[in-house]
Amino acid sequence: MQRLINIILLFKEYFILAGFVIVSFILLYSNNNPQIHAIRSYTIGVIGFVQNAFAIVPNVFELKRDNEVLRKLAVNLSDEVNRLREARLENLRLRSMVGFKEHTSFKVTPADIVGKNMHLMRNTITLNIGEDDGVRTDMPIISEAGLVGKIIAASGRYSVGLVLFNKDFRVGAKIQRTRVDGIIAWDGGANLRLKNIPKTQDVKEGDIAVTSEYSRIFPPEVKIGVVVKITEQPGNLFKDIEVVPNVDFSSLEQVFVITTPPDSEKTALEESVMKIK
Amino acid sequence: MGKHLKYFIVSFFLIVFQIEVVSLLSLKDITPDILTIWIVYIALQRGQIAATIWGFCIGLIFDFGAGNFIGLSALSKTIVGFAAGYFYGENKALLFLGSYRFVLIVLIVSFIHNAVYFAVYTFGSDITALAAVFQIGLATAFYTAAITLLPMFYFSRKLSLYHG
Repeated sequence: MQRLINIILLFKEYFILAGFVIVSFILLYSNNNPQIHAIRSYTIGVIGFVQNAFAIVPNVFELKRDNEVLRKLAVNLSDEVNRLREARLENLRLRSMVGFKEHTSFKVTPADIVGKNMHLMRNTITLNIGEDDGVRTDMPIISEAGLVGKIIAASGRYSVGLVLFNKDFRVGAKIQRTRVDGIIAWDGGANLRLKNIPKTQDVKEGDIAVTSEYSRIFPPEVKIGVVVKITEQPGNLFKDIEVVPNVDFSSLEQVFVITTPPDSEKTALEESVMKIK
Repeated sequence: MGKHLKYFIVSFFLIVFQIEVVSLLSLKDITPDILTIWIVYIALQRGQIAATIWGFCIGLIFDFGAGNFIGLSALSKTIVGFAAGYFYGENKALLFLGSYRFVLIVLIVSFIHNAVYFAVYTFGSDITALAAVFQIGLATAFYTAAITLLPMFYFSRKLSLYHG
């Protein structure tokens, strides 16, 4: 026994290292554990509070650029609003003619980004709204420019969101012009990738990718980005499509969380079908 | 006890600083890792065991604060503490901290950190681990080493005052 203790003392550095490495791997494998969620929620609350205090310091370098961008955006949006108003009226008229249901509108809650963690591809944002404001895990985050990400953790007053540029982010998407379906993901590059689009499908550079109606989390027709490059590799069934997101993550400061829960009847039905399968 | 409380308070504020302020220093999405510099400082001041323990604790708090991949920074920063601990020499802390050896140690352990980090992070994803290590990991290591020049000059001045 004494010999064993001597060995442990002799190599204590290695035993400590091994212990912490094992604990780290256990934590990595229990990311969805409720206890881990509870600790994460508490830590987000504490760190979010300090981040919020830091957030009162304005980034003066960005203010001028933001101002210009917002002015241009305001002009474009007011023009688009006018055209959309007319289109909506026409749409309502046509839908009533063919007896279609009107799309459900969703409730959005505005939020300030009080922290950005873009270090080593981690790519998350901390928002100054949380469970007290109705925010729950998996709720979509959008901005006036388009899709930003989704909520992955929330405390009472703060929440953390995963952005499009994260390896764990996937969203069902479609090409607005041709209604071709695919999946938007990120592979570590400068742009997003639109995957699972067969070579036979019609996709062109300049096409707009929007969220599809098949997603349980994201509402349909939210703009994701623009197709900028299409390549076809010999021996591959699918096109390699690069998409530039509409949202400029470097200057993003305010977002909206869609706090309307997804259609529970649809979700329950889909889950029951999955269980039968 | 007082020393550990000081380490905890400094670590906590550096974590918030890393998330909130260091992103403003990003060059082409590459940000320096000030937590690695801090762990190397602890390693040179207190030795391998203290640095390994603090590396784990700092990494874990950062993981919880970042909200995803709980355990990833804990793992990589534990290894940073352990690796940096090899450069510990009794009564030589200031000598190391005030010379280019500090920058070199940060560069080496930062690269090890990023190699471990991306090996786990990219596992099972479309991102290639080698590309991530050599593009983002290497650039981050050099940027972190460059930032280390600031505390190095501070300790260098302290060292010259101590000898002078």
